[in-house]
Amino acid sequence: MHNDQEFELTAEERTALAALPREMDTGDLLEERVVRALRDKGTLQDSRSRGNNTLSIAWKIAAAVTLFAGGVATGRYAMANDATGSSINAPATRDRDVGVTPRTDTRPVNQRETVVAEREMWL
Amino acid sequence: MAPATELQRAPLIPIQPAVTTDSALIAASISGAEPAFRELFRRHTPHLLQFVTRVLGASRADAEDVVQDTWLRAYPALVTFRSESSFSTWLCSVGLRAALDSMRRGKRHDTDTLFDEDSWTNPPSTEDRVDIETAIRRLAPGYRMVLVLHDVEGFTHEEIALQLGIAPGTSKAQLFKARRVMRALLTGREKNDA
Repeated sequence: MHNDQEFELTAEERTALAALPREMDTGDLLEERVVRALRDKGTLQDSRSRGNNTLSIAWKIAAAVTLFAGGVATGRYAMANDATGSSINAPATRDRDVGVTPRTDTRPVNQRETVVAEREMWL
Repeated sequence: MAPATELQRAPLIPIQPAVTTDSALIAASISGAEPAFRELFRRHTPHLLQFVTRVLGASRADAEDVVQDTWLRAYPALVTFRSESSFSTWLCSVGLRAALDSMRRGKRHDTDTLFDEDSWTNPPSTEDRVDIETAIRRLAPGYRMVLVLHDVEGFTHEEIALQLGIAPGTSKAQLFKARRVMRALLTGREKNDA
């Protein structure tokens, strides 16, 4: 069995080994090659497309918020119109009290009250 | 109060960019940040390329293929890096496995007999004195790997044995022979026993 003591390096050899370069210039081509290979595998994201994606997501969120706000505003506007006219929010008895009958509804008052009560239950 | 002209002449303190640690770069690279990965690549590939070139004793083109393969293996495994050793050491161990696989694929060397005692059937000529880099390159693959890992990179025999899947005693025997052949190549003396 051999060991290190059986064949020690000379001082000259040690110096020569210590003087060996520890690094080698890689160049840009190798870096691009490796980055492209990692992108192709889907493990690394392109920094440019990453920026575009961020912008795209921001636009999508802004559009979604605008649509939601528009929907809420439209809904409130419709509810306000219903409240001022003969809406389902108005108590059924009020029509009878003031003697106003909906123009289109020709059903008997009892039946209308049942329908209104049922709708209010669902709202 | 000092005049404005004196204030303007006051030396500006240069602002040094913050040095990003390997751990921070690794964490950012795992999340897919390309700039962080590029920085990690630029920081560690010069040593990796030199190491792989020396271990393979091959051309730069072959070494670059192995370096690419090393990064393709290392990137998904970054999550397993625990900072118990330096990142450079960890990367070189991945590079060593990639180099061994490259040898096996290319049939340049039969890795099953890489560390056999009598694997070197065609010793190099030692008629001319050569420099140490050439001497290392001319060594048999098994000798070269152990000598580079031990005498150049500073690995212990136990670490080499673990990396190469051999016994520590085999690593010591390979180093003994590698040093003897290297000396013969450096001094230009004929080798008698290889």
